[in-house]
Amino acid sequence: MANSTETAVESLHHIKSTEPPEWLVPKQELSQAVRAASKLLFSSLKPYCPKSPFDQLLTEGFDAEQIWQQIDLQSQPLLSSLRREVKKFEKHPEEISKLKDGGVGGGEKKKVLVQIETDNVVNDDEDDDDMDMDEDEDDEEEEDEEGEEEEKERGTEEEGENEGEEKGGIEDKFLKIKELQEYLEEDEAREFGLKKKKAKAESKKEEEDTEEEGDDDEDENEGSEDDDDEAQEEEDGLGLFDGNDEEDEDDLENASRKKNKSSKEKAKSRDMLEEDSGSDYEQDVDKRKDGPSKHEKELDKLRSKIEEMEKANLDPKVWTMRGEVTAAQRQKNSALEVDLDFEHNVRPAPVITEEVTASLEDLIKTRISEGLFDDVQKARTSSSKAPREIKELDESKSKKGLAEVYEVYMLRDFILPLNVEEFVQKTDPASAPLTFSDELKKEASMLFKKLCLKLDALSHFHFTPKPVVEDMSIQTNVPALAMEEVAPMAVSDAAMLAPEEVFSGKGDIKEEAELTKAERKRRRANKKRKFKAEAAKRMGKKARQMTTVGNNDEGLYCIPILPAIVGGS
Amino acid sequence: MSTEAPTSMETETVASETKLESNTLPPKPKFEPLKAHEMSDGRIQFRKVSVPPHRYSPLKKYWMDIYRPIYEQMKIDIRMNLKARKVELKTRSDTPDVSNLQKCADFVQAFMLGFDVPDAIALLRLDELYVESFEIKDVKTLRGEHLSRAIGRLSGKGGKTKFAIENATKTRIVIADTKIHILGSFANIKIVRDSLCSLILGSPAGKVYSKLRQVTARLAERF
Repeated sequence: MANSTETAVESLHHIKSTEPPEWLVPKQELSQAVRAASKLLFSSLKPYCPKSPFDQLLTEGFDAEQIWQQIDLQSQPLLSSLRREVKKFEKHPEEISKLKDGGVGGGEKKKVLVQIETDNVVNDDEDDDDMDMDEDEDDEEEEDEEGEEEEKERGTEEEGENEGEEKGGIEDKFLKIKELQEYLEEDEAREFGLKKKKAKAESKKEEEDTEEEGDDDEDENEGSEDDDDEAQEEEDGLGLFDGNDEEDEDDLENASRKKNKSSKEKAKSRDMLEEDSGSDYEQDVDKRKDGPSKHEKELDKLRSKIEEMEKANLDPKVWTMRGEVTAAQRQKNSALEVDLDFEHNVRPAPVITEEVTASLEDLIKTRISEGLFDDVQKARTSSSKAPREIKELDESKSKKGLAEVYEVYMLRDFILPLNVEEFVQKTDPASAPLTFSDELKKEASMLFKKLCLKLDALSHFHFTPKPVVEDMSIQTNVPALAMEEVAPMAVSDAAMLAPEEVFSGKGDIKEEAELTKAERKRRRANKKRKFKAEAAKRMGKKARQMTTVGNNDEGLYCIPILPAIVGGS
Repeated sequence: MSTEAPTSMETETVASETKLESNTLPPKPKFEPLKAHEMSDGRIQFRKVSVPPHRYSPLKKYWMDIYRPIYEQMKIDIRMNLKARKVELKTRSDTPDVSNLQKCADFVQAFMLGFDVPDAIALLRLDELYVESFEIKDVKTLRGEHLSRAIGRLSGKGGKTKFAIENATKTRIVIADTKIHILGSFANIKIVRDSLCSLILGSPAGKVYSKLRQVTARLAERF
């Protein structure tokens, strides 16, 4: 056991002495040394964390991740307890002096502290330099850092332990159980997010200063936000009462800062500042009593609403609120999501349903069965005009020569109207014999006359030819239909006559009922007169007939009867 | 003055009658009308019509049909100068009219242009007939296929368009490659010329027919 510890301590020293570039290349002996050192540290820290499941660090056959997990398991509760101790020291700085006074061990411890801190810083330098190396190196670094951290923790733990021992044993004027209890309560309250009220300037500055270390620690620990806060508090505390330490730390940090990469830290500091400003704000709010009051909450709501609305006003408007927006100015397919309203100038297409189709088909069927096709019928033009005679063009070569063609017209127009003899006289005998065929005609006509004479001699000399009946009928080139009167078919022939053609009367025509008495009398008188006249005429006729036959008896018999008839009427 | 031409020359017989009227002018002389021969002072007139090579053999074929009317009815001497390839015409002493020679020359010329003898004879018989010639290029400049198509349009299928125009207007048309000759009366020549020009310019035959019908209907009444 002592051998192993010695070898482990040796290996630890060996690690410390190795140059940083040697870490670039993975070496078996270095890794072995690191593992041994880690094992030693683990086992040395074991008494301070009773809850750890591992008795010793298992390194054989485990890879870096697993070893780290084991270390982490042990260190987490350790860290929290350490923090508690630190806070306690914050409150009661006299206890540190107790620590210091606690003999040479205190001085030694202080030395150890300083040494540890220097080592820490130096190793921080190393670590920060090595941070950009390979993963294998990272693991080893982590282990290394872990080792250093554990050293530091161990240092503080030892202090804590010492304090604890002292507390537990003696309750004297320096320490009282009551005070301890108060402190514990206060601490718990702090753990739940409540923080001390401080001058922001101081706190900021201190936070800045202490954040550097806190950053490194946090990087190594990967702590949560609560841990951040706690770390800050711890740093605050450290900053407050550890004046010397603070100076030392400042010096150390300044040195480290120069060596480290400034940009990274500044970035981290900026982040931390932001968080701190928020956390400060929270500090101020949460300081009052238990929590934010109702009024506070309402004010918060209002404030957030106002902020939202202000933000909305400042932002550019949504495209729907912007007026005329073309497709290029809005997102793709954004118009599909909005319910647009515009005028439809066309009638919407009819929705075709079963009923519509059925009605259409019924209509078609009835039409087909009736034969009602709505065909366009050609309007027949009434043939009132006779069709014009179209002269047909002869497209064949004319058999007559040009001379013969003209000859026809010449004969018709010029020669035939004249007698043949006249024509012969008129023409100059010296001139061109246009009428050489006329001679033939002359001869022919002479022959015919002779023939006719002989033929006439055979028949009667009184022969009279058929009379030429020249009928001067006017033949209008008009179709027969046009001869009739143009009247609709419904009008009968009786109605075709005009009223005056039907009845020709003169004077004022009146009905029986319309007549006055005098007129009636006049009519009757006229009728009687007519009848009398007619009767007299008839009598005269009969009398004449009687007398021509010459029969007295009849005449005698007749005469007396007639006057009776006449008288009777 | 009497319209009748006196057959014999009259000597001054009325000289005695005028003695009584010594104040008045002397009587007008009465002459017989001049003969054609005398009109040209007894000189003989010539006409020469050159024969194109493509009409050489038709001339030989129809020589007698040409010769007979000219010599017998027009009383003009006609001969063919083979060496010079010309037809020569000459008046005789008993040629009745001065214009006979010109008419015969026109008749022969018409034959040389391409007209048939019965058609050309009309020139001898009628005074009012003329021959007009023009070329296709006078109407429109056509080249190559367009020219061939224009000539085809003018004649029609089997010559039917040409015959239709001839029959409708009482004219005769000769289409010799790019030259066109029309024989007919003045007004008819005008109608034919219009129809042919419209055909050259591209109008279809049906359009030309309808126009022809309209025009010839008007002309049908008149000669």
